[in-house]
Amino acid sequence: MSQAGMLSSAAATASKPVIVAHDLGIQFKRNRRHRRSFKDLFSESSRRARPDEFWALRNISFSVQPGEAVGVVGRNGQGKSTLLKLVADVMIPDEGRVAVTGGVAPLIEITGGFVDDLSVRENVFLTAGLHGMSVEEIESRFDEIISFADIGDFLDTPYKHLSSGMRVRIAFAVISRLEEPILLVDEVLAVGDRQFKEKCYARIDELLAGGRTMFFVSHSEADLLRFCKRGLYLDKGKLVLDGPIQEVVDRYNADYK
Amino acid sequence: MTAVVAPRRERSASQRYRHSLWLLTKRDLQVRYTTSALGYVWSILDPLLMSAIYYFVFVIVFNRGSASEDPYIVFLMTALLPWTWFNGSINDMAKAFIRDAKLIRSTSIPRSIWIMRITLSKGIEFLLSLPVLVVFVVITQFTTTPAHIRWDAFYSILAVVLEAVLIIGLGLIIAPIVVFFRDLERAIKLVLRLLFYATPIVYGISRFDKDSVVKHILDFNPLTGVMSIYRSSFFAGNLDWPAVIISAVEAIIILGIGILLFRRNMRAVLKEL
Repeated sequence: MSQAGMLSSAAATASKPVIVAHDLGIQFKRNRRHRRSFKDLFSESSRRARPDEFWALRNISFSVQPGEAVGVVGRNGQGKSTLLKLVADVMIPDEGRVAVTGGVAPLIEITGGFVDDLSVRENVFLTAGLHGMSVEEIESRFDEIISFADIGDFLDTPYKHLSSGMRVRIAFAVISRLEEPILLVDEVLAVGDRQFKEKCYARIDELLAGGRTMFFVSHSEADLLRFCKRGLYLDKGKLVLDGPIQEVVDRYNADYK
Repeated sequence: MTAVVAPRRERSASQRYRHSLWLLTKRDLQVRYTTSALGYVWSILDPLLMSAIYYFVFVIVFNRGSASEDPYIVFLMTALLPWTWFNGSINDMAKAFIRDAKLIRSTSIPRSIWIMRITLSKGIEFLLSLPVLVVFVVITQFTTTPAHIRWDAFYSILAVVLEAVLIIGLGLIIAPIVVFFRDLERAIKLVLRLLFYATPIVYGISRFDKDSVVKHILDFNPLTGVMSIYRSSFFAGNLDWPAVIISAVEAIIILGIGILLFRRNMRAVLKEL
């Protein structure tokens, strides 16, 4: 498919959002003193309100169009990562629902799927496979992934013997090559040396230019302004502002700086 | 390389499920066989050592073993190898979520896979350990009490299915609960040790009268029926259909409870991890 064809097809489906969050809510326990009892295991826990539970997110509704890059802004502990996890379907909301059309490439705890005792090569096949790639697809992209991560000499080294920088590099290389239409990014750009960071930026630019949708959590104002057009501002579990990224960043700065 | 959103070849949910399940199972076996020098030997060493101990205690020390249990070493292994599968799986189920917490937190994979993959990888190890049994059967051919394989051996396929259902059902119950009650992991080890003796492994079910209290208690153990099938591959008079039916009913009930509990608790498990 050509770039032009791609863009026109994106325009044609522009009216159909790829991520729709409807009245999302999730609650967590404030402390661990309240132990769950065996009785709780048999009942639907979301149906009951407990004094020591608080809503990490509540009444969050928004929709994201294909090709949009959305930055999520907020202080620590305001539910940014939780929101990303709900979109990635690695957490289940207590209220509302989130519908995601198309595959997701989650750059969340990206080294999570890697196994210490297996070699880099085995790990690439394992992680890419778990994200839904077939063996042929992985083989056709394998060289690209390795050259991006720049660890060609360590293909058969057990993962645990890599430096922490190398681990993140290979993980980013794999997940960013998943070719999924939606990209979820959670603070991963904070690691790695500058040279690799530049590479990651270039890669994300490339993906966005190719019509990917991105959901981006970061504390870096520069990164947010660079990649995103639209911003979501979360504060105390509420969606305070949903608007152009500059406006959202300004509001955040006005509130907390 | 142009970054174009090519429409990826969509695969059905069940295809993806099987693909992920196979990848994780392969990973388990790979890790097991590449990180240890002895590799395969470990998966047979445990039942082999146990067999040696019980053979020593019951045959050499106490000089037991009746006509229906000879050769005792084959009698023992027909139940001990499936037990090793059960025991290893249930032990691992306690750690199913905790061990892979990072992966579960970052990748959207159908959650029941964590249960299935333990059942499958331990099941494959069980199948790989069967040649040991064959070796012992061959050895007994040169003794006064040779073991003869019987047609009932075909029922073992049913036993494998029943045992798998039982392991999956128990796994669906155990795995989420251990996330909330970590000390349950130790309790499970104790219960398994008790269950080992409450299951006809070192002894046979045919040892007891039909109406004895012990027999009734044993029949309640879902593994009793399963073991009686495995046993009957070599030993007549062990196949106990009433016990098999009890096993099947219990396995299905446990699976039902497991599916229910698993669904109910998944939301809380994901928060806790």
